[in-house]
Order: sequence, then structure tokens, then C-alpha cells
Amino acid sequence: MRWTFHEARQPQDDVIVVHAAGLLEHLRSSLPRDVTPPRLLTLARECNFDELHLRWFVDDGDACSVLLRVVAPPLNADLLVLGSRGHGTRPGLLLGSTSLEVVQHATLPVVVVPSPPTRT
Amino acid sequence: MVLIVNEFYDDAGHEDPGHPERPSRTSAVRSAVADLHLGDDLIVAPAREASRAELLAVHEGSYLDELGAFCYDGGGDIDQDTYATYDSWSIAKNAAGAGLAVLEEMRSRNDGVGFVATRPPGHHALSDRAMGFCLLNNVAVAAASLLALGERVLVLDWDVHHGNGTQQIFWNNPDVLYVSTHQSPLFPGTGFAGEVGGWSAIDRTVNIPLPSGATGDALQRALENVASPVIDDFAPTWVLISAGFDAHRADPMAELQLTSGDFSELALLAASFAPRSGRVAMFLEGGYDLDALRASVHATLGAAVGATVVAEPRSNGGPGAEQVARVQQERQAAVDALHSLEATESAP
Repeated sequence: MRWTFHEARQPQDDVIVVHAAGLLEHLRSSLPRDVTPPRLLTLARECNFDELHLRWFVDDGDACSVLLRVVAPPLNADLLVLGSRGHGTRPGLLLGSTSLEVVQHATLPVVVVPSPPTRT
Repeated sequence: MVLIVNEFYDDAGHEDPGHPERPSRTSAVRSAVADLHLGDDLIVAPAREASRAELLAVHEGSYLDELGAFCYDGGGDIDQDTYATYDSWSIAKNAAGAGLAVLEEMRSRNDGVGFVATRPPGHHALSDRAMGFCLLNNVAVAAASLLALGERVLVLDWDVHHGNGTQQIFWNNPDVLYVSTHQSPLFPGTGFAGEVGGWSAIDRTVNIPLPSGATGDALQRALENVASPVIDDFAPTWVLISAGFDAHRADPMAELQLTSGDFSELALLAASFAPRSGRVAMFLEGGYDLDALRASVHATLGAAVGATVVAEPRSNGGPGAEQVARVQQERQAAVDALHSLEATESAP
């Protein structure tokens, strides 16, 4: 998110944070869908990003399907930024890796931002 | 009428502790079948795996390779909803094979109602990707086997979620009519009324999204008013049902308000879409409240075979009538637009 907030510096740039609501989330979550998570607003402030250009968008589906839809209405995204959590199963194997799957099928430019290295 | 079910195949190895898509679902369904007390009218089709060639009719080879390797390596989470274990590859192939076995038995007898009680479910599985608890698209594999015989297949999907995988697989196939009723908005975020099929199969997809709280009367009316005319024009030779039972009012995965009695009525309506008896097979999809699942399967199969069963009263009075009317209009507009574009493109 920090990378995105720092890159989106043109006056016309909007940042839309997309959340994929899966089957299990419907089962387990009672959180209101249209409320921007406070931690996201906090992060925007930390990065001096104007909250008026920040939008929270929840779509039903698995992460891959939802991310591949952002190019279409109603979002009409120009660029897709993915945070790679490094949870993919194994290098070179597609299954279980949202980033690889999205990059393979996306019809818009995609930037994959790795998570910071963690101490082991 | 005889009921033809698949032989039980041990699916306990496909389990993720705490996950709602669990082995006890199969047990609940099997007890619902046993409680019908059909005696000699219950036929068991031998268990078998779907072959690679049978799976390739609907899935990409690279995906099958990936899934097999993923399971062989111990499995894990495929996405936020979908898991696989070491045993899942074999269990999934048996789930897909169970449908083929039931259809083979039905064809050899030329009679009966088919019921495929397997897991994992299949209708979210895309040609190249697992999702929504689904690994292989069981009903699509079965439909493809009938297409190879020159049949015309209606896939009626009354699971509370849209069967995006089945829709994708047959999007451009004019010999399959895919009809889905589902809650919307809801996972997987597809199944809008304007999705009516691809260029080669215009009007071969019928989506009927229903609002949260809709009752059985709205769903039944939607099928009769919106889907029936399309089904009549299509004239299917087989009816395969993606029979999810998560539209039941007790199910925790969604908010439709159907009862077991509504599923009885749906079974009878589905039978009326078939050209004759012996051409309707149901495939278990969702259904996560075990008591509701057991009661709904019992009521559905009882109605299908003509057995006397006690079911909950049918539900009615919920929202959805206006939305169904809009669905009809949006569908027709989308079909007309595609036909218009088609005419423009083919003009000299």
C-alpha cells in the first residue's frame, strides 16, 4: 500500500483498494462492507495521501476473479498493483499463487510489489 | 421409479478442519437416501475415477497437471476458500467419475432418476482453475460425456451461488443450455441477467439473480416465466441438475429462504423439462447445514421418484417478483443486442 500511495501523486490519480469477499468471509464476517478500514485511512495519512482520492471497494468472488475484473466497469482501472504476500505454494507452480495467476490473465498493466523481508 | 446413486467412495481424506465443505455432508446426504427405504428401487452405480481424457473434455491439461502435482506434494490452500489435500486428487477424480457412472447406469436401464452424492462440489471450477470449494467440475464432465453422444443438455443450477465454472465451460457451446437461479449480490460475483451466452451460443445461458430473502415462490415463478420458454425452444434431451441445497433458509452461507418443500417442487418442475423419464440426474453441489441438507435431499429425491415424504411447507411472500421482471427485460435486451451485432457483422 505504501508503494501505491507514494506512486499515485498526480492530481487525477485515484487509489481504489479492492477486497475480494470469498465464500468463507460471507460465512464468518459480520463487518459492514462499505466502511473503509481505519488502518487503511491511517496508512494513507502516514503517506500524506489525500483521503478524498482513496476508495474502498468490496467485490464478491475469489481474489483472482475479482482482480481480473477491475479493468471493467464500474472501476475501469488503468493499473493494478498487487501486494505479494509470499504465500504462494512453490516457485514455478501456478496453483495457489494469486499474483502469478493474475499476471498471466490480466489485460491491464500489473505491478507486483513484494512484501518487505522479514527476519528469520 | 428407481433411484440410481453412485457407490460411496471414502472422501474423508478431503478435509480441512473447521471448513464447512466437510465429509459429514456426504454422510447426511447418504442418510437422506437411506431414509427413503426404496429397497430394490435403489440402484448403486459402481465407483470409478474419471479418466484424463474425460476430464480433458472440460479442463485444461496444464490445470490437471498442476492440481495433481499440488495434491501429490501435500496440498494446501489454493485460494481463500478452496483447499486440497494429498488425497484430494483421487477423491476429486472419483467425484467426477461418479457422475459418469450414474449416467452410464441410467443409459443402460433407460430409466430412473440419477443422484450423484459426491464432494468436493464442482460448479465453481473453471476450465483452468479451482475456486469456491470446487476442484473439478463434476456436472460439466458429465454433460460433456453426453455431448459426445450427440445429446442436448440442460444444466439447471439451483445452488444459491452462481455456477460460474459451468457457465464458463459451456459459454460458447450451443448444445448446452445453462440455467441458474442464485442469490445476488453474492459469491462469485457473476451470473447477471445480461450474461446470455457467447457468440456461438446466444441465449444458451439464462441467469436469474434473486435478492436476499427471496422465497420459493419467486424462484419457481422465475423458472416458469423466464427459463421455461428458453428451455422449450432448446428442447433438451437430458437434464442435469447442479443441486445445491444452500438456498435453504437454515443454511449459513446465504440468505435465500427456501424450505425442503420448495426443493420437492423444484424436482417436479425439473422433471417437466426432460423429454421423458430416465433423463434427469442431480449432482450435489452446496448445502452446509447438515439437518437442512438431509431434509432437502430427502424431499427432493422423494418427489423425483414418486415416494411419499414429509417435507416443510413451501415458502412464499419474500421479495423478488420485481427483480424477476427486470431479469426478463435485461435478458431480452442482451440477446437482441447480440443478434443485432451478429447481423451487422454478417452483412455483406
